[in-house]
Formats: sequence, C-alpha cells, structure tokens
Amino acid sequence: MNDLFFIPIIKMFVIFGVCLFFITYTTWLERKALGHFQLRYGPMRVGYHGLLQPIADGIKNFFKEEVVPDNADRAVFLLAPIISISLAVMLLAVIPFGAPITILGKKVDLYLANPSIGILFILGFATIGSYGTILGGWSSGNKYGYMGGLRASAMIISYELSMAFAVLSIIMVTGSFSLVDMVGAQQHVWNILREPVAFLVFLISGIAELNRTPFDMPEAESELCCGYNIEYSSMKFSLFFLAEYTHLFVFAALVTTLFLGGWHGPILPGVVWFFLKTFTIIFLCIWIRATIPRLRYDKVMKLEWKFLLPVALANVIATGVVMALFG
Amino acid sequence: MELLGIIICGGAALACALLVILSKNTVHSALWMVGNCLALAVLFLFLNSQFIAILQVIVYAGAIMMFIIYAIMMLNQRQGFETDILKGLRSGRFVLLCLFMICLLGLGAGISPMALKGEMGPHAMAKFGEVDLIANYIFVQGIAAFELVSVLLTAAVVGAVFLARKD
Repeated sequence: MNDLFFIPIIKMFVIFGVCLFFITYTTWLERKALGHFQLRYGPMRVGYHGLLQPIADGIKNFFKEEVVPDNADRAVFLLAPIISISLAVMLLAVIPFGAPITILGKKVDLYLANPSIGILFILGFATIGSYGTILGGWSSGNKYGYMGGLRASAMIISYELSMAFAVLSIIMVTGSFSLVDMVGAQQHVWNILREPVAFLVFLISGIAELNRTPFDMPEAESELCCGYNIEYSSMKFSLFFLAEYTHLFVFAALVTTLFLGGWHGPILPGVVWFFLKTFTIIFLCIWIRATIPRLRYDKVMKLEWKFLLPVALANVIATGVVMALFG
Repeated sequence: MELLGIIICGGAALACALLVILSKNTVHSALWMVGNCLALAVLFLFLNSQFIAILQVIVYAGAIMMFIIYAIMMLNQRQGFETDILKGLRSGRFVLLCLFMICLLGLGAGISPMALKGEMGPHAMAKFGEVDLIANYIFVQGIAAFELVSVLLTAAVVGAVFLARKD
C-alpha cells in the first residue's frame, strides 16, 4: 500500500513543487539576464535584487479583473489556458531527474513514471498542449490573436518534423524510447558527441516550437502586438505565461536528458548535475533571445523546410548507415 | 474495473464522434474530433498497446488534427460557416453510410478473434516488445506493401498539388 500509493503521491508533490518553483524563478532569471544583456538592472524593487518579483507578479495577477471579450467563443476561450498549462505540467511526469536514491532504507527513483514510450509521450503531449495557443488566438475574436493562432499552428506543423527526426536518430543510437534508458546509455559518452548534428537541429527546432525569439512568430510584438494572448487578462494570461516557461524548462530538461548525459557527472550528486545542465540550456535560450533579432515569417518557414528538415533526414540516414556498417 | 474504464472511454469516444457531426461550428467539430482521438488512445491503453496509443495521440490528435484546424482557420473567418449536417442525414447518402458501417462492423467481427489469438497477441508483445513486433510486421514481412503505399501517397500528393494549382 505504502509503495503503491503514498510514495508516488509524495513524489508528485515534491517534483511538481520543486519544478514549478524553478519555473517561476526562470521568469526572474530571464528578466534579470535580459536586463544585464541590455545594460540595465532588470527588476530591483521587490526583495533583494528583485528576488520576490515573481511572487508579487503572481499576487497582482490574481487580483486583476478578468475580461472575456463580447465576440469571443466563450467555452474555447476559457478552455485554452487550461489546455496550455495542464498539458505542459503533465510533461514533467516522465523526466528522469536523477539516479535512484535511498531514503530511510527505501530505493526511490527520481521520476514519476518511466513508460516504455517516454520520449513519444513528451512529443505527443507537447503538440496537444500547443492547441492551447492556437485556440486561445482563434477564440478571442481579435484579428491579431487570430493571426497569432494561425502562425502558431503553422510553426508547430513545420518544426515538429525536424524535432522528431532529431529525436529519431537518438532513438536509433539508444535502441529505446524510454528516457531512463537514454540517460543510462550515456554513462560514458554523451550523445552530443555521437550526434552533434541532431543536437543542433533539436536545439533550433525546439526554440522554434517554444515560440521564443528569434522565432516568436505567434506573439511578434511589433507585428501582432502580443499575438495569441492579446485578449487574455489576469490569471488566465499568467497561465499562458507559466505554460510557456514550463515548456522552456521541459525543453531544457529534454536537451539535458537526450544529449548532455542527463544526471551523469563527476563528484556532485546526479540531481545537482541535472539542474545545472538544465539551467545552462535555459540560460543559452535567454542569451539567444537577447542576441538574435526576430526572423521574417517566410524566412522561418524556409529555414525549416529547406534546411533543417533535409539536414535532419540526412542525419537519420547517416546514423543508420554508420550503425549498419560498424554497429 | 477494466470493463468500466473501457465502457467509459468507448462512451466518450462515441459521444465525441456524434458531437463532431452535430456541432454547428467547424472548429468545435474539429475539437470534438481531437477528443475522440484521445478517447481512442485510452482504449488502446486498455488493450496493453502503449505504442499504438501514443501514435494515435501524436499522429491523429497531434499532427493531422493540427493540419485540419489550420486548414479550417485558413479558409474560414473566425466564426466558421454554420453547417446543418442533420439536413444532409435525411438524404439517400445516409443509407449508403449505414450500409458501409454495417460492412465495417462485419469485417471487424470477422477478423478480431483471429487477430487476438495470432502473433500480435499480448504474449508475443510481452516476449518481443511491442515496437519490435510492429516493426517486424511492417518493415520485414510487409515491406513491399509498405513501399507501394508510399508510392500511392506520393501520387496522391502530386495529384493534390496539380488540382490545387492556379492556372
């Protein structure tokens, strides 16, 4: 009874609590880092160097008025943020955070679930989660939101392909769909050394799937004045915001798991290594956002269909040939 | 317990499928279809086939429905055009549809016992792993049919591009 019921529930609270805490503070990290990149300080007022800013933002958003536009599709308008946040948080369940540890004489695995199809679970439900973005844009009855939703679906359709092909070459190298097996296979050599091309393709298409600058088509401020979430106010807007950062966290964790050896590393315990690598990737994403300006919409599509997808396909074929010859 | 789950998910799938044809708004129809795909995925889970279930989510609920919603959003303005499908059901085509469904059910009843006892059964899945089993069926035993289907699909794409071409 204990093993089947209480331990998973405790693990669920710990994992979701810790991750959501980190995700909330990713917003602080992003604002702070962007500030310093642009020779500003970023948030400074609330707490030491703005450390309490995310909490202040959360409280503020709770007390704001909720507005549902008159010509919105009410049911879908309310459903969209729920889809976004719930499916984003669901992805945390299959991420392996560290090597099994022993607490009070019991061996505890540091993940909630290890389905044999772990990586496909993440790919599948990340796509379902992006329905939130699309429907949010469509249902708000605003042409900017509508354009944002349309662009979001075009981005997902395109970049999902190269991302899946990059993952496919990792699956070929590992021979398993399970994320835990993938980390296990990288004990000696990290996959970034075996599959550098797949790493680059995965990183670029991942940033595109996250709708972050330079690929933030659905919410291009200067073109769509905020895009799909333009009509959302108060906590509903916050849910979209939180879902976006949850996706960023899951993406960084996925890069760590697939390419950077997961929890493997010398001296420090596995969990520490995992979060160090994850936050390095998150910082890299922020860095890219601060450095590269937004691409034009047709160039984003050209980059995917004429460059990333052929490269990813060629990489899968090359991996197959090498495995057939030397494996 | 399992039976209860199957009944609930089957009911949900059926309800979603009905709502697909009964909703007035095309985007709502598409959303109910996503719901239908997800319910079907859970039904696959009850059959112990995780891989097929997640493929159902990725391919149908994810990719194909995303395409359909994209197409609907591209073509219509926001509200979508209101269609009354019930009116269409009163025509002779409905009889044809019913006949087709009865044939499908007959086909299902004809092959299901064989399929469950055969090499795709739970025992073989536990022994070889589900992905290996399916890969073996598609890429070893059925490789010729698989390649022919891909030629057919390519031909269909070329045909679609030809039809859609503005002249």
